Amino acid sequence: MAETAERIMSGADFSDPAVIASLAAALEVAGVDGIEIEQGARKVRIVVEHGVLGAVSQVNASQRNPATAHSSAVKAPMAGIFCRDHPASFTPPFELPREVVPGDTLGFLRVGPVLLPVKASGTGILTRSLAADGSLVGYGEPLFEIEPCP
Amino acid sequence: MPNGQTHTAEPSRDFDTVLIANRGEIALRILRACKDLGLKTVLVCSQADRQARYGALADTSLCIGPASAGKSYLNKDAILLAGRLTGAGAVHPGYGFLSENAAFSAAVEDAGMVFIGPTAESIAIMGDKIAAKSAMIAAGVPCVPGPDSKLPDDLAAVEAIASEIGYPVIVKATGGGGGRGMRVVPDAGALHEAIAVTREEARQAFGSPALYMEKFLQHPRHIEIQVLCDVHGNAIWLGHRDCSMQRRHQKVIEEAPAPGIAPDVIGLIAAACVRACLQIGYRGVGTLEFLYEDGYFYFIEMNTRLQVEHPVTEMTSGIDIVQAQIKSARGIPLDIVQADVTVDGHAFECRINAEDPTTFLASAGTITALTLPSGPGIRVDTHVHASYKVSPYYDSLIGKLIVHAPSRAEAIVKMRAALAETEIEGISTNLPLLRRIFDDNGFATGCTDIHYLEKWLKQRSAS
Repeated sequence: MAETAERIMSGADFSDPAVIASLAAALEVAGVDGIEIEQGARKVRIVVEHGVLGAVSQVNASQRNPATAHSSAVKAPMAGIFCRDHPASFTPPFELPREVVPGDTLGFLRVGPVLLPVKASGTGILTRSLAADGSLVGYGEPLFEIEPCP
Repeated sequence: MPNGQTHTAEPSRDFDTVLIANRGEIALRILRACKDLGLKTVLVCSQADRQARYGALADTSLCIGPASAGKSYLNKDAILLAGRLTGAGAVHPGYGFLSENAAFSAAVEDAGMVFIGPTAESIAIMGDKIAAKSAMIAAGVPCVPGPDSKLPDDLAAVEAIASEIGYPVIVKATGGGGGRGMRVVPDAGALHEAIAVTREEARQAFGSPALYMEKFLQHPRHIEIQVLCDVHGNAIWLGHRDCSMQRRHQKVIEEAPAPGIAPDVIGLIAAACVRACLQIGYRGVGTLEFLYEDGYFYFIEMNTRLQVEHPVTEMTSGIDIVQAQIKSARGIPLDIVQADVTVDGHAFECRINAEDPTTFLASAGTITALTLPSGPGIRVDTHVHASYKVSPYYDSLIGKLIVHAPSRAEAIVKMRAALAETEIEGISTNLPLLRRIFDDNGFATGCTDIHYLEKWLKQRSAS
């Protein structure tokens, strides 16, 4: 959890309700009761009351049951180096979970000079990124996990 | 053999990482040779082989495509990309798949990697039966009677050639191999149809309707000579093998040395083979295959790659042929001369196939139990283990059982015991067939021809 928190703290805007919602959903899935994050002079405290997070509109984590949900994997279409972001992009990494629709670019595969976008093939909730940024991945290797929308 | 003034191959570059573009037992064999030489390994695999245990032995294992060989082990682009992604300095193609593909050899070298095998030019020459025959004739290697040129379209001219050679003759596709694209013509009455059918088969299977014709030998043995060349004009031969125990042109049992052939007789042929290799600037390992009948050798083709049966020569020569091949590709000069090469004792290899021993239908499935033999003089080259899932996508070879003993008779006894110890459950294998062959008196006597096994199988199925 510390690692997740550190990643989130590094670039997230906690004044954005969507970020809070995403974070709360992640905590719910992880089974964590609460978290306190300090970012400069600002402090955010989230307390999770498991099972009542229906208010999270972007990702309704409470309705996802990892054990029973029919999650699907977005797999590497070929061997390459996995890149979370486009090298020329200055956009901060997206937070998980998040809703995706077909055609959404989830990441990239670098094969020599070619940068191949990895796209979502269906609608759902992108819950996990499975490959480390910069790692070598093989054909068919699961890169992302997508659960059906509730 | 410090000569080879005619050698033309470019010196190879050195490398520290080898990409193994193959699967199964030969991938593991190459991987071990690389480790022994202190080289790093990249093993590419298909999705069907992703879970194979031997993959974990490589420094890097990378899935490059789906199970279908055409999209993985035969996918040149995917393999080249894998080489680029992993920083491999060389590609070892093993046997089968792309090992004798001249375009792949060229593409690997164009991509800045070393192809562990001959140049594209050498592969192309030997892949063309007519060009290969011409090269062999030029070096004084005896060939099967018949012109070293493609057959003319004029059927009357073809008839004249067949009459001159003398029936029976065999018509072959110049781009063929592996027993495909060939037809025996017993007499003049069958010639026209044989030409028409084989030409069409050649056009469809090999992309060229070109045919050539040779004398059909009726009871030959299959004898082959293993050569090893560096890129500094040195070439030697490491021994000879008898691979006459075949079914449908597929070798079942191999042995070294070939029994009943005097060293001075084979020595002359082998010297001509070495000469031919030097003349075409051959590099690495290769095998020149011959038919042997009534005391005469007839060149049939050269395999420009490592062969399945290389272990029997390793056992009798004491030379690690895979390591020698890799060293040659690195540009390291041969550290032995012909006089250093010896033939010690006798070795057999049994190809263990996942197939029904009677119908020969491939058998896929999970190996539920596995007992492999061991002890002095026994070697098993295999990638399988208990719980290994034999895939239906590839060749049925799941392992090779090799024995080595001071004499042929002792090697037969050792192989019988080793086969008796071997147990593979969960799938069908040809083990029962191999055991029966090693109990056969005709085989034990030696010198059986290439039709012996097929006739033997027919007799057994009839009785």
